[in-house]
Amino acid sequence: MLVKLMRLTEHPILNFQEKRGRKITIYFEGQPIEAYEGETIVMALHAAGIRVLGYSVHKHRPRGLFCAIGKCASCLMTVNGIPNVRTCITLVEDGMKIERQKDKPKLPPTVKPPKFKEAKKVSGDIVIIGGGPAGLMAAINAADAGAKVILLDENPMLGGQLVKQTHKFFGKREQFAGVRGVKIAEILEEEVRKRENIEIFLETSAIMLLQDGDEKLVVGVRKNKELIEFRGKAVIVATGAMEKMIPFEGNDLPGVYGAGAIQTLMNTYGVKPGDRVLIVGAGNVGLILAYQLIQAGVDVKAIVEAMPKIGGYFVHAAKIRRLGVPILTRHTILRAEGKEKVERAVVAQIDEKWRSIPGTEKVFDVDVIALAVGLRPSIELLHQVGCQIKYVPELGGHVVIRDSRMETTIKGIFVAGDSAGIEEATTAMLEGKIAGIAAALEIGTASSEWFKEIEKAQKELDEFRAGPFGRKVLEGIKKVVVE
Amino acid sequence: MRSEIVIIGGGIIGVTLAHELAKRGEQVTVLEKKYIGSGSTFRCGTGIRQQFTDEANIKVMKRSVELWKKYSEEFGFPFKQTGYLFLLYDDEEVREFKRNIKLQNKFGVPTRLITPEEAKEIVPILDISEVVAASWNPTDGKADPFFATTAFAREAEKLGAKIFEYTEAKDIIVENGEIRGVKTNKGIIKTEIVINAANAWAKLINAMAKIPIKIPIEPYKHQGVITQPLKGGEINPMIISLKYNDAYLTQTEHGGIIGGVGVEYGPTYDLTPTYEFLREVSKAFTKIIPVLGELLILRTWAGFYAKTPDSNPAIGRIEEINEFYIAAGFSGHGFMMAPAVAEMLADLITRGKTELPIEWYDPYRFERGELRETALQMG
Ligand SMILES: Cc1cc2nc3c(=O)[nH]c(=O)nc-3n(C[C@H](O)[C@H](O)[C@H](O)COP(=O)(O)OP(=O)(O)OC[C@H]3O[C@@H](n4cnc5c(N)ncnc54)[C@H](O)[C@@H]3O)c2cc1C
Ligand SMILES: Cc1cc2nc3c(=O)[nH]c(=O)nc-3n(C[C@H](O)[C@H](O)[C@H](O)COP(=O)(O)OP(=O)(O)OC[C@H]3O[C@@H](n4cnc5c(N)ncnc54)[C@H](O)[C@@H]3O)c2cc1C
Ligand code: FES
Repeated sequence: MLVKLMRLTEHPILNFQEKRGRKITIYFEGQPIEAYEGETIVMALHAAGIRVLGYSVHKHRPRGLFCAIGKCASCLMTVNGIPNVRTCITLVEDGMKIERQKDKPKLPPTVKPPKFKEAKKVSGDIVIIGGGPAGLMAAINAADAGAKVILLDENPMLGGQLVKQTHKFFGKREQFAGVRGVKIAEILEEEVRKRENIEIFLETSAIMLLQDGDEKLVVGVRKNKELIEFRGKAVIVATGAMEKMIPFEGNDLPGVYGAGAIQTLMNTYGVKPGDRVLIVGAGNVGLILAYQLIQAGVDVKAIVEAMPKIGGYFVHAAKIRRLGVPILTRHTILRAEGKEKVERAVVAQIDEKWRSIPGTEKVFDVDVIALAVGLRPSIELLHQVGCQIKYVPELGGHVVIRDSRMETTIKGIFVAGDSAGIEEATTAMLEGKIAGIAAALEIGTASSEWFKEIEKAQKELDEFRAGPFGRKVLEGIKKVVVE
Repeated sequence: MRSEIVIIGGGIIGVTLAHELAKRGEQVTVLEKKYIGSGSTFRCGTGIRQQFTDEANIKVMKRSVELWKKYSEEFGFPFKQTGYLFLLYDDEEVREFKRNIKLQNKFGVPTRLITPEEAKEIVPILDISEVVAASWNPTDGKADPFFATTAFAREAEKLGAKIFEYTEAKDIIVENGEIRGVKTNKGIIKTEIVINAANAWAKLINAMAKIPIKIPIEPYKHQGVITQPLKGGEINPMIISLKYNDAYLTQTEHGGIIGGVGVEYGPTYDLTPTYEFLREVSKAFTKIIPVLGELLILRTWAGFYAKTPDSNPAIGRIEEINEFYIAAGFSGHGFMMAPAVAEMLADLITRGKTELPIEWYDPYRFERGELRETALQMG
């Protein structure tokens, strides 16, 4: 009966009843659980109240989900006898057997010897890795500029972080201001699917990026099984970002989730993350998350913020306060408590040197702690292929050196969106557009007319970054852009 | 600064030699241009075997295994005698290995030919459908290169050796055939004795000393792979399949399956991992153990086999430059040899002779056109 409780049946913006696929049964350690086609294993488990996905190898501490987008490996389970499956990006199938790992896993005793075939080969002009706003806009523009585009994403749906943004966006009208993130994702996806010169591969992870003679080779693995070689004359990396973790006692307890993971749970799959939440971080992400949680009927106990001031937009903060959620600035989380999962959070005030002040501790009875403490760019593939890297804290950490048209230090390899530096969906789309056109120009499918489009997008970027929130980003960009 | 002996290169050879010399009371300094082990050593496949095909390498490796055992117990790093299992697929291979086994037995290495079923008892997940026999020596083994190298370095320092990391030898000062010192990026170290232990970079060190003989050692790119960790005991020995692309694989202490295949590039100083290797290693490993197909690869990396024309190293004294020694060119088996190499070279330096068959590795053999039988190489 837990099942019904954790699933959202009513939501002011989203209609999950309509969206849910066919009802099927999966087995968690032998016990049948109801699931819906089209959702990931972790979502089905969470909906059934199962939060502990496994145990750490040495200390046997419980492990739960953290990123929900396949980037952190805290959701590894044994699925149909196969160990270490990322259950947050693997879709449920009827009759699936799911087991927790309590130790380093063992291999299944027998399998049939694999038959070798040559890897599937897919060729195009431009290969785009990542189907978030940056990748989608890159695909649309590169395709319109005459290129044959291959677009791959390791998640089962397009849209990247947008698919969980139920709020309306800021910015200018051309950049979808006033439109909800989920809607933007739908619009972009429709545009992409309309174009015959874009081929889409979902549930396909790019695991290697290489120079292969005159071409670029992207090695992909579809559904954990099928090897695919993608070749193109140029590659655009739009792999987004990864949630940051902060150190505190008990930060590995199930129930300590990244903000994006909570959004994925409730906004993409209609699963309630928990009943009572403490949010760490009062930037826009933390504030928006608070609002979305309340919308979904979840009690937000407080938001703690280490800085003396709220980082996000004032309007968001005002709205949250009106709804009665205290925002405690100059506070940090000391520890998460609980046996198998979060049961309480202890916070305290901090002094100028970021030390907690004894006697100021407050205890919140919560079952979820949401971390909204920033993101870091996912640059693994760019690093591996040998692009020049620099540490730029203003952009979220290590980023690649690039020019104003998003080309990295390796000719023919472009970057766009959060993987180029943490910013927003609006800028990700503009960077995607620039990268898509620049790549098409470089390989010669686009006419020089298209330079104007690049300039237009660059101007829009400049305008967007001219605001108070753009200052830090501009500082960062100065450090990575070369001509 | 002054040091009686300067070793150029802080790989397993440099640090075991420093330890051996320091133990004998010599004052020794190791120069390492990056950090200890950063050359080939930390990139190796961990394997230690006595199953060679010639007398000298068998004898040296037998001694080396004794020393691995002794030092791992003394210093407390993981070395396990979990054996080497060569899978054999046809009569010709079996004939050849029977000959090797006879030779190994003659020098006290207890290798024996076993049936495919016996091999499967040792590694239950093995696919033996194509295997006709296996060559098995339970006293071969593996050691952890990170723990082992740092342990030897630490123990050498305890005995007074100096190890300078991020210190690159830039030139060797020689006057009238006598060594005067080594120029580094951090200044000059005065010395009369220099040992070239720079393996893949050995030719550059030889050129610094202007040695007048030809010692062909070239860097070839080889790669390694490691999977996600599994519970221990899945693959205890090192498994070798010459048929499937010279593959070797075993399980590390941590649980990952480590190994490689014979995909080689070079001579080159490039270290970019290749897709060809990833594909070939997956193919070979799943042929040998099909269930490995269900496992995810964590990392691949590249390192150098410093190769000579007969895949045997050059170890010895260079007569034309007084007190210049070399121990380099270890191909794919320098990690396993290190403790014995350190012993024989230290013998040569401090006593002028050694009981181990150092002549086999004579650095002059290339100049004289007296190549050895090619040493058995995996990967
Ligand atoms: C809570 C929250 C609220 C936000 N609110 C706003 C807002 O109001 N306005 C705004 O403008 N922005 C907002 N943002 C930011 C915005 O969502 C991101 O900046 C934007 O989505 C970045 O786009 P992207 O395309 O670079 O990356 P992403 O959207 O992260 O997409 C990256 C994609 O790449 C895929 N991928 C990654 N690695 C691989 C691989 N190896 N192989 C295959 N595929 C891969 C991923 O699966 C993913 O789909 C918000 C973000 C969060 C978390
Ligand atoms: C993929 C792979 C798998 C392998 N598997 C095995 C195995 O299973 N078993 C085995 O026995 N062997 C194996 N090997 C081989 C083994 O790694 C080498 O033979 C061994 O590490 C050589 O040790 P070394 O000390 O001679 O060289 P290195 O470890 O390369 O040390 C030489 C050092 O010299 C330094 N140097 C160079 N020039 C200078 C300078 N001018 N000044 C100062 N320092 C300098 C370098 O930085 C380097 O650290 C493998 C090798 C590879 C690449
Ligand atoms: S990889 Fe699945 S939760 Fe992060």
